[in-house]
Amino acid sequence: MVLRFCVWAFFGSFAIGMVGCGQQQVSTSTGSSLNRAYVTKTEPAGAIPVGEARSSAKSDEHVVLVGHIGGSAKPFVDGIAAFTVVDPKVPYCAAKEGCPTPWDYCCEQGQVKDNIALVQIVDDAGKTIAEDARKLLGVKELNLVVVSGKAQRDEAGNLTLLADKVFLKK
Amino acid sequence: MFRRRFLPWDYGVRNLMRRPSRTVLTLGALSVVILLVFVVVGFIRGLEQSLSISGDPSAVLIYSMGAEDNIENSSIAARTPGLMSASLSGIQNRFSVSYVSPELYLGTRVTTIDAQGSGLGLVRGVSTVAPLVRRNVKIVEGEWPKLGEVMVGRLVATKLGSSPSSLAIGNEIEFEKHRWRISGVFTALGAAFESEIWCLLPELQQVLKRQDLSLVSILMKPGVGSQGVEIFCKQRTDLELQAISETAYYQSLQKHYKPMRMLGWLVVLLLAGAGVFAGLNMMYGAVTGRIRELATLQAMGYRRRAILVSILQEGLLLSAAGSLIAGVIALIFVNGVAVRFTMGAFSLRVDSVALLIGCGVGLLLGVAGAIPPALKALREPVAQSLKAI
Repeated sequence: MVLRFCVWAFFGSFAIGMVGCGQQQVSTSTGSSLNRAYVTKTEPAGAIPVGEARSSAKSDEHVVLVGHIGGSAKPFVDGIAAFTVVDPKVPYCAAKEGCPTPWDYCCEQGQVKDNIALVQIVDDAGKTIAEDARKLLGVKELNLVVVSGKAQRDEAGNLTLLADKVFLKK
Repeated sequence: MFRRRFLPWDYGVRNLMRRPSRTVLTLGALSVVILLVFVVVGFIRGLEQSLSISGDPSAVLIYSMGAEDNIENSSIAARTPGLMSASLSGIQNRFSVSYVSPELYLGTRVTTIDAQGSGLGLVRGVSTVAPLVRRNVKIVEGEWPKLGEVMVGRLVATKLGSSPSSLAIGNEIEFEKHRWRISGVFTALGAAFESEIWCLLPELQQVLKRQDLSLVSILMKPGVGSQGVEIFCKQRTDLELQAISETAYYQSLQKHYKPMRMLGWLVVLLLAGAGVFAGLNMMYGAVTGRIRELATLQAMGYRRRAILVSILQEGLLLSAAGSLIAGVIALIFVNGVAVRFTMGAFSLRVDSVALLIGCGVGLLLGVAGAIPPALKALREPVAQSLKAI
C-alpha cells in the first residue's frame, strides 16, 4: 500500500513538473482582401517617373507617379499602407547576381537618393490607411506601380505622395 | 480459460528493486543523457530568450541606412535626437523630458586592471535618458557613472572571460587607451545590455574624437508603435536614416543564429538517439535474463499485452526518475550559467519549454528502449521459454 502510494506520488510530482508554469502567448492577426477602392484596373494617364517628379512637382499638386517598389531592404512600413518607389531608370540588381534583396538597389545606392519617393495610401480624410500595403493592394517588392495623388514637398526636396489610386503595371 | 488482465502495478516496481545495481547504473546513464539534453536545450533557449527579451515593444531604434543590421557600423548626425523630438509626435514625455536617447555604441578591446580578463567588450555611451528608454535596466550595486567612470552589466565578466571580482565597484578597466573606474553594476532582466559597459556619452565621444552618434533610441507612448518613426525616416531620405522597432531588430538578429540553433537541435537528436541505444542495451539485458519468468507469467494466464505493459512500466519508471534527477540537477547547476558568444553573453535557461523537451525525450527513451526487447522475449513459444536457461 505504501509502495503504491509512493509510486503514485512520484508520477504525480513528475506530471506537475512537466506542466510547469509555461508562458501564455497570444497572437492576433487581421486578414484583408484587396481593397478595390484603392486599386484601379485602368492605368492613370500622364504618369511621370519619380526622378522627374522630384524636380518638378509642387506641394499639393496632383501628380501621377510611376516607379518600382523598393529603395531599401524594407520598402514597406509594417502595419500601414505606405511604401517607397524608385524611378524605373535606376537599375536594380539582376537575378543572375544572386542578390537576395535586389529591391534595396545596393548596386546603385548613389542614384536612389534623388530618385525615390514615399507613397502613403490615404482615405478621404487624408489619413493613412492602417493596413499593410501588401495586403491592401496585393503588391510586393519591385512591382512597377503607377500611383496618383497629392504631392507633398519639404525644404530638403523630399517627395511624399498621398495617393488615392494605385495601378499595378507589372 | 480464465485470463488475467494486467499485472499488479507493484510487480514492475518491485522488479526494478530486485536488481538494484543494474537499476542504479541504468538510472545514472539515463540521467546523464537527459542532463545533456537539458544543457543543449538550455543553451538554445537562453540564446533565444536573450534576443527576444532585449526588445521593448514601445522602443524604436533609429540608425544609418548603410549600417544594415549592424548598429556598430552606424554613424548618424549628432542633431538627430533633437530633430526627432521636434518632428515626431507620440514620443513618451514626462516632466518636459522627451524619452529620446542618443547613444554611441562600439565593440573594442577591454582589459581589466588585474589583466585577468581581456577581450572584445561592448561599450555604450549614454545620457541620463537611457534608463528611461531601456526600462529593464536596473542598477543593482553602486551608482550611475560620473566623469571617468563606467557601470558594467551583470554578464560583462563572462564576456571578457574574467572573474566577477575583477569588475567589482572601485576597480578599473581600460579601453581606448583610457582607464575607467567602475561605479556600478546593472542588470537588464536577461537582455543583451547585461554584457555591455555603459559610460557617459560626451566623454566617450571625446575619447574617440567623434561627434556623431551610432543610434537614437526612442520610447513611444503606449500603443503608438514604430510606424510614425518609420514613415518619417522614409520621408526624409536626405537624412539616410532607418527606423525599426527594437523587438523587430532583435528578431532580425535571431536569423543570424539560426545555424547555431539548428546545430543545437541536431545535438539533441543525436543525444536522444544515443540514449535510446543505451536504453535498448539495458532492457535487452534485463528482459533476456527473465525469459523464464515472463513465460511463467504467460502460463499463469497473463496475456502478452499485460506483460508488455509491465515491462514498459519499468522502463517508464526508470526514465521518469532519470528525467526528474536530471531536471533537478539542471535547475540547480545549469540554469543561469553565463555563456559568452559573439554578440555578448547570455545565461543558459532551463525554463518550462526546456523542461518539457528534456522530460519528453527522457520518457521517449524509456518507451523506445523497452518495446523491442519485450516484443522479442514474448515472441518465443511459452513451452520453449520455460526451458530457457
